[in-house]
Amino acid sequence: MKRSVRQTLTIARRDFIATVFTPTFLIFLLAPLIMASFGAIGGLGAATMADSSADRSRIVAIVPADRAAAVATVDATLRTVFRQPEAPPELRIDTPAADPAAQARALFDARDVEASAVLYGPLDRPTILYGAQGERTADYMAELAEQALRAERTGGATLSHATKTQMTRETTSVSGQHQAAFFTVFAIFLLTVLLAGQAVGTMAEERSNKVIEVLAAAVPLESVFLGKLIGMFGVAMVFIAFWGTIAAQIGTVLPAEIVQAFRDVGPAVGFPIFVPLFFAYFTMAYMLLGAVFLGVGAQASTIREIQMLSLPITILQVAMFGWASAAASNPDSWVARAAEIFPLSSPFAMAAHAANAPELWPHALALAWQLLWVSIVIWLSAGWFRRGVLQSGGGKRGWKTLFQRA
Amino acid sequence: MTEELALSATGLVKKFGGRRVVDGVDIAVPKGVIYGVLGPNGAGKTTTLRMLLGIIEPDGGQRTLLGFDRPRQASDRVGYLPEERGLYPAMKAAEAVAFMGALRGLDWRTGRKRAREMLADAGMADAADEKIRKLSKGMAQLVQLLGSVMHRPELLVLDEPFSGLDPVNQEKLEKLILAERDRGATILFSTHVMAHAERLCDRLTIIAHGKRQFEGTVADARGMLPLQVHYVPHHPGAGLRALLPGDAEAEGDGWRFTMPGEGIETLLSRLIEAGHGISGLSIERPSLHDAFVRIVGRDALEDAA
Repeated sequence: MKRSVRQTLTIARRDFIATVFTPTFLIFLLAPLIMASFGAIGGLGAATMADSSADRSRIVAIVPADRAAAVATVDATLRTVFRQPEAPPELRIDTPAADPAAQARALFDARDVEASAVLYGPLDRPTILYGAQGERTADYMAELAEQALRAERTGGATLSHATKTQMTRETTSVSGQHQAAFFTVFAIFLLTVLLAGQAVGTMAEERSNKVIEVLAAAVPLESVFLGKLIGMFGVAMVFIAFWGTIAAQIGTVLPAEIVQAFRDVGPAVGFPIFVPLFFAYFTMAYMLLGAVFLGVGAQASTIREIQMLSLPITILQVAMFGWASAAASNPDSWVARAAEIFPLSSPFAMAAHAANAPELWPHALALAWQLLWVSIVIWLSAGWFRRGVLQSGGGKRGWKTLFQRA
Repeated sequence: MTEELALSATGLVKKFGGRRVVDGVDIAVPKGVIYGVLGPNGAGKTTTLRMLLGIIEPDGGQRTLLGFDRPRQASDRVGYLPEERGLYPAMKAAEAVAFMGALRGLDWRTGRKRAREMLADAGMADAADEKIRKLSKGMAQLVQLLGSVMHRPELLVLDEPFSGLDPVNQEKLEKLILAERDRGATILFSTHVMAHAERLCDRLTIIAHGKRQFEGTVADARGMLPLQVHYVPHHPGAGLRALLPGDAEAEGDGWRFTMPGEGIETLLSRLIEAGHGISGLSIERPSLHDAFVRIVGRDALEDAA
């Protein structure tokens, strides 16, 4: 085995073992569960509040008793068009009092009901009052009056008899590809945010323990940096394998209607090619961002300095995510081309490209381009470390040592 | 490049912030010797060693390590104990030794086996599975030293290896250095403690103010100073001082002075004839410490202090 490869793997092995075989790794591994638990608790609280509000929310139709049944029938028919979260509040039908206008206004101050919209007056010229954010509900009530009158005039006869046939596509739709592109960018972003940021503090251990002198004497700094990246990437793989297995198991028990909803979503290159491409681009995103973070973090000599670096690092990642998301939505734009070329956004944007376009040759080019930049960033980081921390003036051949024969 | 020398350098220069901390140092270490790099604190010893090993690049000069112009190419054949000791605190002692061997090309299986053997030989068998953070400073230092020799290097570079060790461990280290030399390794070590250098070194270089001030054997260094005579008269009295050399200084009951150029016999004859007699007489070779002070100069020592 080439000496530099062997040395790189020795460093990687040490970092992997030192990270994975510790109690804190368990906390790190289960962090998404903790995050999801907090999310679920928050969501549950919000849903409870929304439900209690929805329980009392009503649309009220003040119509004579002889029209109440017709209005209720039309309401039941119209509601079938809506999915549950988008449906208007439940209908309440009140009999008109002496002053229906005053009766309608009074409903907005009532304690037993939360009126979203109130209709009164003749159905051909109804008056509709609505509260804040009740404009769409008011439109629904206008349509309710219209349909109630139509039903009354046609005697309830159905005027149109539709034949409905479900179709399935041979290929994914363009919008489905766009959605797949966005999901891809988001997934790589989420994984790199969770995992690549870890690289920032890894050299601090060697600096604080003075081990760096031992490593620097035995191993080229480029191998130290690459070894650390590979070690942390191995940690990321354990994380992904763990949660990937769980996610796959959850996927097998999802209700059919949910699976059906995603039938149209898929990558343009097809799943058998997309999966390895996704993995390759995640690897490149991790290596590129990780190398930048490792290089910057290596300059920090204290924990406080490393903590200070967290914000700019997160901002950089979010910026790359935003740029690549724009590229995913507009795959033929100059924004997309620029994102595919700029090294740090390239893995994200090219993963989106795989979802949006079927050609494969750009991916070979892009992966080579990104690999080149991984080498360049490691070389620059090692050189910067050599000059800044070790106070060495040389390091002229930096990247060559990676490929040098033993 | 031939391999007659384990290590050589000519005109090594290193500048930090415009200051030349190493200023044209030449060094030539023959194979199979114990070679000392001596100098006061801040003389440039560590920087010189780091340049020789390729940890930092020199701003000027040439160097050759085990026949290679690029020190990295020989790194698997070199062992190094840095001045600032560094180990991973969470690593177990045997694992730490094996890790250092693996960095230098030894496979893990052999490394682990050899690490346990070496720890046992050093009387640390019980500590093999202890984490570094639980070891005493001296034990941790010994672990690092074992790690630096466990791949059986041809060249062993030790930067201030004795600092921080108690006398027992210092003796252990001296024995280990001699054993490594007997195995055929070349040992280069820096120190500012003359006693170790005097006992161990076959050759040495003295550096001060970033420049080489001396190169040779311990005997050569000591030979730079004349012999010292300590004379105790049987009958001290008036006129004695006038008979002694000009540099004679009173010391206890006697006098200390430099051996006269023509020898001691003439002077002793005159002292006996004058009735002062001889109660005690010793002729002493100057120590390496004396030679070091003379070579480096009091100013350099005071600067370092």
